[in-house]
Amino acid sequence: MATESTTDFTLDTAAELASEEHGAIEGKSPWLLAWRRLRRNYVALGFLLLFVAIVVMCALAPVYASQIAGTGPNEVHLGETFTRDGEQIPVVSKGGFVNGKFVAGGIPVGPQLWHAGGKYVFGADNLGRDVAVRLLYGGINSLKIGIGSALICTIFAILFALLAGYYGGSVGWIISRFFDLIWAFPVLLLAIALGTALSINGFHHFGINIEAGSLWIPTLVISFVLIPYVGRPLRGQILSLREKEFIEAATAQGASPFRVMLSELTPNIASSVLVFFTLIIASNILTEAGLSFLGAGVQAPNASWGTLIADGQDRIVTAPWLAIIPGIAIVLTVLSLNVFGDGLRDALDPRSKVRIER
Amino acid sequence: MLTLVAAFALVAGGCGGGGNKSSSGGSNGGKTYPLLRVSWDAPDYMDPGLYYTVAAYQATNYVWEGLLGYKHTSGPASAELVPYLAEKMPTVSADGMNLKFTLRKNLKYSNGTDVKASDFRYTIERDFKIDSPGVGFFSAIKGVSGPNGFATTKKGHISGIITDDAARTIEIQLDHPEGDILYILALEFAHFVPTGTPASDQSTHPIPSTGPYMLQDYVPNRSFTLVRNPNYNNQIPTMPSGAPDKVVGKIITDPVASYQSVVSGQSDYDYNQVPNDRLPEAQSKYKDQLRIYTNANTWYYFLNNKIPPFNNIKARQAVNYAIDRQAIVSGPFGGLGRPTENFLPPGYPQYKKITDFTFDLAKAKQLVQQSGTAGQTVDVYGTNEEPAKGSIEYLAGQLTKIGYKPKLHLLSHGVYFQTIGNQATKAQAGHTDWYQDYPHPLDWFDVLLNGNRITQTHNNNPGNVDVPSVNKEIDALKKITELTPAVNDRWAKVDRDLMVTYATTVPYLNRSSTDFFSTKMDMSCYTFSVVLYWDWGVSCQK
Repeated sequence: MATESTTDFTLDTAAELASEEHGAIEGKSPWLLAWRRLRRNYVALGFLLLFVAIVVMCALAPVYASQIAGTGPNEVHLGETFTRDGEQIPVVSKGGFVNGKFVAGGIPVGPQLWHAGGKYVFGADNLGRDVAVRLLYGGINSLKIGIGSALICTIFAILFALLAGYYGGSVGWIISRFFDLIWAFPVLLLAIALGTALSINGFHHFGINIEAGSLWIPTLVISFVLIPYVGRPLRGQILSLREKEFIEAATAQGASPFRVMLSELTPNIASSVLVFFTLIIASNILTEAGLSFLGAGVQAPNASWGTLIADGQDRIVTAPWLAIIPGIAIVLTVLSLNVFGDGLRDALDPRSKVRIER
Repeated sequence: MLTLVAAFALVAGGCGGGGNKSSSGGSNGGKTYPLLRVSWDAPDYMDPGLYYTVAAYQATNYVWEGLLGYKHTSGPASAELVPYLAEKMPTVSADGMNLKFTLRKNLKYSNGTDVKASDFRYTIERDFKIDSPGVGFFSAIKGVSGPNGFATTKKGHISGIITDDAARTIEIQLDHPEGDILYILALEFAHFVPTGTPASDQSTHPIPSTGPYMLQDYVPNRSFTLVRNPNYNNQIPTMPSGAPDKVVGKIITDPVASYQSVVSGQSDYDYNQVPNDRLPEAQSKYKDQLRIYTNANTWYYFLNNKIPPFNNIKARQAVNYAIDRQAIVSGPFGGLGRPTENFLPPGYPQYKKITDFTFDLAKAKQLVQQSGTAGQTVDVYGTNEEPAKGSIEYLAGQLTKIGYKPKLHLLSHGVYFQTIGNQATKAQAGHTDWYQDYPHPLDWFDVLLNGNRITQTHNNNPGNVDVPSVNKEIDALKKITELTPAVNDRWAKVDRDLMVTYATTVPYLNRSSTDFFSTKMDMSCYTFSVVLYWDWGVSCQK
């Protein structure tokens, strides 16, 4: 996936800076300059706000479930009714054979918004579960996996990039071939293969025990398959930085390789890492949705936005909201992260060198 | 002497989508038409020794035939066995251990070669050589079981099958009486193949047939074509000679695409289930082309009777009370089902409706408390395909409500039954279903719930149901070859004992299915057999 800047964002000119500083140009840190650029990008900040709002809403899922909807995310309500305007409405329409005549049933109740006192705001699914509650809980899982996998992936990518870029030689060769190996597989196919294999029995090797159905499975699978997509460009940057004079100076002063990597190289790739991290969360949320849609991600009865879409596809004609609502949630989240990520990139790296190529 | 088993009153429960019901005979008056285009599910094989899916069975009803077969008609009479390649029903000895058949005269395969009595023995022996899924059915034949039996050695011949090609006679000797032996001989695994047919999967190299049609070609996952058998000459007068001159099957496994293929007129018949999502549309827009039937099947939850918490009868009773069977029919099944508490499906003469477990969540919670098992973790297994997925999620939800902590394991269909059939899995509860192989209670209670047949792997009884008194009764009934009303009552008691007295299992519905046709088909010829399903051989077009 290539993320393109949609914002016309230029470097601060000396005149602009001077005007802001009332005539006097003072030395500013790159982070402060970046913040100045970012704060003027209202679109990016607007979408950041949207993302924060989504996170907050999902975080409040337990409160919503207990105080408003009055049901848990996996609580089935087949055969039950609820009250709307004093009338008893079946959560899922009754079907079967009545006096020998077949009656199609199983159609869940549609979005009630606020007409049912907070119940079934976005309708019910075919087991009578409250879609709004599952959407929020599903959001928690999707965000946990998206952010968690982005974090793990980025940490390992930095580590590999530093080792490969700084040491080069056989260490660099091995790490590069490892990147090539993963790169050789289409991301989603590799993730499905790993996710499916692990979702049956879990992972029980090397003293690590992860049960089937654990959120750690999709999180680690996504982290693993995306490492080269972050690690490779970072390795390129390290290779370039390694030749710079300040690295030579640090080495000449007797700094250990560890110190050079930690104190000299890492701060210089921090801006790229930050941009990558933001953009890759969005990418990982999409990957998780794809994996869960195909049954290789979050396992039932737990929800994620991907599983909600998968559950909804069987009822796309009679209950389209089941797939559309989580679809909108994914679009908004990914859009907010991508637009903010683009803004962050423009602010941190106005020459826009950073790209995630998929 | 083993008398002809009474015809089963297996009422199909068929119900039209609003259109006219077919006449009882469902005959098309012998009219033929050039082409039937069907949208079909993928068969597992197209080799009678290997296939074990309804997709293959229904498609090849008119291709390979055995000594006996089912009457081609609608309603309960369609469960009646009639002689196919055999001249008449067999002569059976008084002890039920010796059966003698005589083949019809001048029988030929589709390639023009003669059908010989020894082909029958070759057919059964070939089943063992190709590891057919049906070999277990023939274990009662003398010379099959035991350390030197053919099942183990696969050498020489099965001593209990004696044939005389010149006299066209086949004698089958059994080690012990087998109440369902005639039904077993009507299974696809006993359908004649010529001696010398390679002992390997011949799906893509069509085996010569004895029925009115022959398989012309089969491309796995793509298509199959059936054409008339040029050497048939109405050699089996007890079955129709078939209406379409040619049947072209397009394999479409996606139910939505399959349904759409009929709606758009590209196919004349949709083998797949009409998706729940499209049922209201099919019912309103195409009601005359839709037929809904309930064949002999039972969907049930198994509860592992051997390990906690369900080794406690109160815990098992609690689950039975916690399940709202009608709600499951309405929800995941979209109405396509009939709630049940019996293990045996309705329509069997042995069926006596059970209504002991009316949905009562409060009582279920109380029973869990009384059992002292509240709060225990339960590993619940199911498949990740609808509607089984929905029904198992429902079970997990109800277990939570009555005080357990269910842990759901959803597996793909391909590995599911192997997993729950392995004792090492220690599945405590889960989903399973059963569709009859043949219409006899032994195919239900002996295969699925006889504690004497529990195995470590490939266990058909994942609930480890093992009630010694009932096992003894099943074994006794197994030896009785005549299904008299008194015997039927004993089978009904087995059902009641296992489902109510010991509450071993939680049957919840008999699933209904759909037959959907294009406007080209004349629905007045629609014939549904309880064993053969939609009888395409007697269909007709407008």
